[in-house]
Amino acid sequence: MLDIVQQIINGLSLGSVYALIAVGYSLVYSILLFSNFAHGGFLVIGGYICYYALMSYGAGIWTASFAAVLGAGFSAILVERFAYRPIRERTPVTLYLLIASMGMSIVIENLFVVTIGGRFRALPPVLPMQPVSVFGFATTSAFDILSLVVSVISLVALQLFLNRTKWGLAIRAASCNLRTASLMGVNVNRLIAIVFFVAGLFAAVGGIFLSARYTLYPQLGSTITTKAFVAAVIGGLGSLPGAVAGSLILGLAEMLTAGFVSSQFRDLVVFFLLIVTLIIRPSGLFGKAVSEKV
Amino acid sequence: MGYSSGIITLLAINCIASLGVSLFTGFTGIYTLGHAGYMVIGAYTAAILTVQFNLHFVLAILAGGLLAMVCAYLIGLPTLKLAGDYYTIASLGLGEAIRLIIENWESVTRGARGYPGIDNYTTLPVVLAFFLVMTFGMFYLVNSRYGRAFKACRDDYVAASLLGFNTAHCRVLSLAVSGFYCGVAGALLAGFISFIQPVMFDMAKSTELVSVVVLGGLGSMSGCLIGTAILTLVTELFRPISKYRMLIYGLVLVLVMILRPEGLMGTNELTPDYLKKHFGSGKKTAKEGE
Repeated sequence: MLDIVQQIINGLSLGSVYALIAVGYSLVYSILLFSNFAHGGFLVIGGYICYYALMSYGAGIWTASFAAVLGAGFSAILVERFAYRPIRERTPVTLYLLIASMGMSIVIENLFVVTIGGRFRALPPVLPMQPVSVFGFATTSAFDILSLVVSVISLVALQLFLNRTKWGLAIRAASCNLRTASLMGVNVNRLIAIVFFVAGLFAAVGGIFLSARYTLYPQLGSTITTKAFVAAVIGGLGSLPGAVAGSLILGLAEMLTAGFVSSQFRDLVVFFLLIVTLIIRPSGLFGKAVSEKV
Repeated sequence: MGYSSGIITLLAINCIASLGVSLFTGFTGIYTLGHAGYMVIGAYTAAILTVQFNLHFVLAILAGGLLAMVCAYLIGLPTLKLAGDYYTIASLGLGEAIRLIIENWESVTRGARGYPGIDNYTTLPVVLAFFLVMTFGMFYLVNSRYGRAFKACRDDYVAASLLGFNTAHCRVLSLAVSGFYCGVAGALLAGFISFIQPVMFDMAKSTELVSVVVLGGLGSMSGCLIGTAILTLVTELFRPISKYRMLIYGLVLVLVMILRPEGLMGTNELTPDYLKKHFGSGKKTAKEGE
């Protein structure tokens, strides 16, 4: 019984970190309708900026995180500007964007391999890791609680941004129909830049937590994004509540499998859930129906 | 085996796999990120059959291809109902799932440590024979009735089904054939390097398969062979600066998408007519519409 509560808390905490990455992913998908495989790159950029700010400049965790988040946000804008915009302006075929994003993910990953090496790095112990007792009947780590709280705060902030601000309204409009939104006077290029910036911000927050939980290495992005991406699909691509729900389901499934079956089957469960979702409900839990009749 | 014949062998193997992906992605118009999964099925089937059951390698290679084909067919029936990006995503999951199953099925596959001691049956004549037969087979297929049906599905799905093509059947068939090609390529690869490991067939391999097809030109079999040749040779030539190899590869992929998204060959085949049109003096031959 205690084990279950503990694993559920761990699962929610991991799931909420996936959610940070999955919402960024879903935001980009809802506007441009392509799967941005380079999303994991922003996570790794954030992780490395945070690492170097902590190690080389002796910055505090707050300064380091701030720098990491901003750096990842701006690199996301740069990637969009130089890799995606030329394609976007030339053709409406989103599959070219998909391939370009695969290329970008390889480029970002290998930029790190080439410049600072593929070695595994551990973040210095700046985040609290000590065990915490939850209402006296289960123990979890302070880190799990912290990442859960930060993720929830970030997601609520995003929700407020989307619902209460003018740009939020523009993003919601563009996710219905980008072309019509542009006819209504929305500056599409700036809108897309903002979306990428926000996606980069969230990826970096997730990246810092993940590199503290595991270790930091250039390929971290592609392993984790695959999961965030699966979470976004389970919830329904392009739907933010879906991305969050999917991430929590995935985090729970992963932790419960690791805790009670075998940690070898963690990844298998992830892909099993993906395939079951796609076969039973291709548009995901909260997605719009997209299936063609075959 | 010498260095240059090793490169030729590898090139031929890669070509067989990318022919399969080209049929599915370039001719039927469905993007896949999981075809390394069919290669791993082929590789392990051939490895287990030759090592444990002493089967003749030609039969083992064919068995690998056929098993991959059957798996592709069974996977295709439910998943090819998905549209656009969703199938691509499903294929990513399926490819990884196949790899993970093989990685965890230790009693049969020896797990993540890999499968050693495979006979070195992929010699140059063997691989060239397979390459020639399968290339001719593929060119014959895409010019046959089925090939035209695939192209019709790619170009306009709704119109094709209104014209009476069984589009669902076309998609599944195309996937099954491409699964066969990838399975055979995997089986040949197992015989070439005589040691296989599930991690060799991960998502990066699947990405590479799609990339060469896109680089060569979607809807061009000769383009996909050219794309494979370029990428395999570049990979080999950059071996001395192997650190930058993947970086260059990623940049090439992005630049091709920006500068020439239709790929090197577009939908043209490398035929005497095409050469005459682009490099000769006469402009009399109009390109045949795809």
